Amino acid sequence: MLATRKPGFLNRFYLVEIIQGLAITLRNLLFHKKVTLQFPEQRRDYSPRYRGQHYIKAVNGVENCTACMLCPTVCPAECIHIVAGEREDKEKYPVKFEIDVLRCCFCGMCEEACPKDAIKLSNIYEMSQEKRSVYVKDFLVEQRGNKP
Amino acid sequence: MPKCTIDGKEIEFSAGENLVKVAKKGGIEIPVFCYHPGLSVVAQCRMCLVEIEKMPKLQTACSTPAADGMIVRTQADSAVKARAATMEFLLLNHPLDCPICDKAGECDLQDNSFGHGSPSMRSTEERRTYVDVDMGPVIQKNMNRCIHCTRCIRFGEEVAGIHEMVAVKRGNNLDITTIDGKQLKTEYAGNYSDICPTGSLTLKDFRFQKRAWMLKKTDTVCEGCSKGCNMEIQQEGNKVYRCVPRENLEINRYWMCDEGRFNYHYTQDPLRITRLKGSAFSPTPHWDEVGMAFKKLANGATVQILIGTDLTLEEMQAIIDFAKTQLPEAKLFHFGTPGVRRTTEDGPLDQILKMKSKTANLNGAELLGLSPLETEIVKAESVVVFRGGRAALPKIDSKNIIGVGVFKESEASGFNMILPSLAFTEKNGTIVNHQGKSQLLKRAVLPVGQCKPLPEILMLVLNAKKREGAGT
Repeated sequence: MLATRKPGFLNRFYLVEIIQGLAITLRNLLFHKKVTLQFPEQRRDYSPRYRGQHYIKAVNGVENCTACMLCPTVCPAECIHIVAGEREDKEKYPVKFEIDVLRCCFCGMCEEACPKDAIKLSNIYEMSQEKRSVYVKDFLVEQRGNKP
Repeated sequence: MPKCTIDGKEIEFSAGENLVKVAKKGGIEIPVFCYHPGLSVVAQCRMCLVEIEKMPKLQTACSTPAADGMIVRTQADSAVKARAATMEFLLLNHPLDCPICDKAGECDLQDNSFGHGSPSMRSTEERRTYVDVDMGPVIQKNMNRCIHCTRCIRFGEEVAGIHEMVAVKRGNNLDITTIDGKQLKTEYAGNYSDICPTGSLTLKDFRFQKRAWMLKKTDTVCEGCSKGCNMEIQQEGNKVYRCVPRENLEINRYWMCDEGRFNYHYTQDPLRITRLKGSAFSPTPHWDEVGMAFKKLANGATVQILIGTDLTLEEMQAIIDFAKTQLPEAKLFHFGTPGVRRTTEDGPLDQILKMKSKTANLNGAELLGLSPLETEIVKAESVVVFRGGRAALPKIDSKNIIGVGVFKESEASGFNMILPSLAFTEKNGTIVNHQGKSQLLKRAVLPVGQCKPLPEILMLVLNAKKREGAGT
C-alpha cells in the first residue's frame, strides 16, 4: 500500500514553492543573457555542418557534377531529377538538374554520396518562397552560400 | 557421372566441361573476364586462376577441363593472391570514370575489383589514353577503359561471322579497333556491348539514358521475327530503355540482332496512335461509343477480318471466337510479312538468328487454323484489321476500315476507325516460334493513352450489341 502524506495547513498554499519558482524566473530575467534574437538584424551563427539550401559546386564556371545519378539513387525522398547529356568540353554533364525542395528532407545523403564533390547543402536556412519551389540547375550553380 | 571437388564441395559434371562451368553448377563463382560461354576459350586475362592439387602451378579455370577426382581450391592463398595481382594489373590503365560510364552497375571489372581487388592503388604513373574511332550508329567506343579481353574480336569471328575487330600493336600499346577504323557492318553489333566486360563498348542508343541499377527487368520474348529470341526488357518509370538478350541455348544462345534489340522504339513513338481516332467518332471520342460505331462499320455485305501474325495466340483465339458469333459471314485471314505467307516459306535469313518472317507468331496463326491472305489488295465492303504493331499492312480497298491494335499516323491514314490496343511490351500472351516452341510474352510497362487489351475491346463490341437488342 502506498503511504500518503497529508500536507500541513500552511503547506497547502504552496507558498514556499511559488517563491522558489519566481526566484528562478527573476534570476534568469535579471542576470542571464537573453535567448531571443532580433532576427532580421541579428543572425545566429550555424555550424558549418548545418544542412540548408542546396547548391552545385562549380570551378571556373564549370559545374563539378557529371550526372552520375548517385544522388537520385541514394535520395530517400526521391526529390532529385537529372537528365544527362554530352557537350564538347565535358563528356557527361547534367542537362537538367532539379531538386523538388518540398519533398527534400535535408538528410544530406546526396552530399555524402557525391563522388565529385558537386552537390552541397549550404548554411542558408531562409528558404520560404511564395510558389512551390523546384530548384533548377541555373539556380543551383549560382554558388550562393558557398562552403569553405 | 564423374565427380570433382571444388572448395570441398563434390560436384558432378559431364565430360569436357571446364572448371568455371562446373563451379557455377555448385554455386561457386570463379571470376572471369575473357571467358564467355558462347565464345572460344583463350585464357588470357588470368583472372580465373585456381589451385589444383598435384599441379605445380596455378591453372586457369576456363581452359582446364574438369577431371574425375580433381581437387580444386579457388580460395587457396596463392590463388587469391594471384587474382588480386591480376586485378591490380588490369586496373593499372583503367580510368576511374565509373560516374560517367554507362556500364557502371553491371560491369564485370567493377564487380571483380570489389570482390578480388585491393581498395588502394600503388601506381602513380599516368594512364594510357587513346583517340577513339567512330564505330557506327550502334556502338560507342572508349578504348581507355579496355582491358584487352578480346571477347569482341572473338564474337565477330565466331558468332557474327565478320572479322571486323582487330588488335593492333602489342603489349601496353595494344589497340582494339576495327580494321582500318571502319564502322561496324554486322547486324549483331549490339552484342558487342553486352559481352564487353568493361564500358569500352557501349550502346549509343542507351548512352547516358539511365544508370544500369535503376532499371527494372522483365523476362520476355522478342517479337522481331519468327525466331523468338529470349530477351529482357529493362524499363523505368513506364518507359522502356533497352532490351538485352537472355540465355537460351535452344533458340538464340546468348545473342540477339540489332533489329530486335531496338524494335521496342515503335511502342514509344510519338506518332503511335494511342487515342481513339477516326471519322466514325465524335470530336472527343470515348470507349462507350466504340461498340455501336464498330457494329455500323463492320456491317457490309462482304466482311474481311485480317489478323496480324504479330498478335499472341490468346488474342487470335479471341478474335476467331468473336468472329464466329458476331460476324459469321466474315472471312478471316492472317497477314504478316510480304512474301512469307506460310511457315513453309519461312526460313533463316542469315546463318545466325534472323528469320524471313518478320512477325513472331506465324506458326501460332497456322496452328489456330487461319489461312493466309493471298491477294495483294484486300477488297471488301468492310475490313477489320487486327495488328500488334509489326505486321506489314496490305493494301486495302474498302470504304469501311477498322484498325484495332498498334498503328502509326502514316500507316493508318485511310482508316475510318482506329481502336488503340497494346504493343508487345504491354501485354501477356503466348507466341509460337518457327521451331514450334511456345513462349511467354510478359508485360513490362503499363499501357499508354487510351489503349486497351484486345479481348476487352472485343467485349465492348459484344456488349454494345446486347444492349441494343434489349432496347428494341
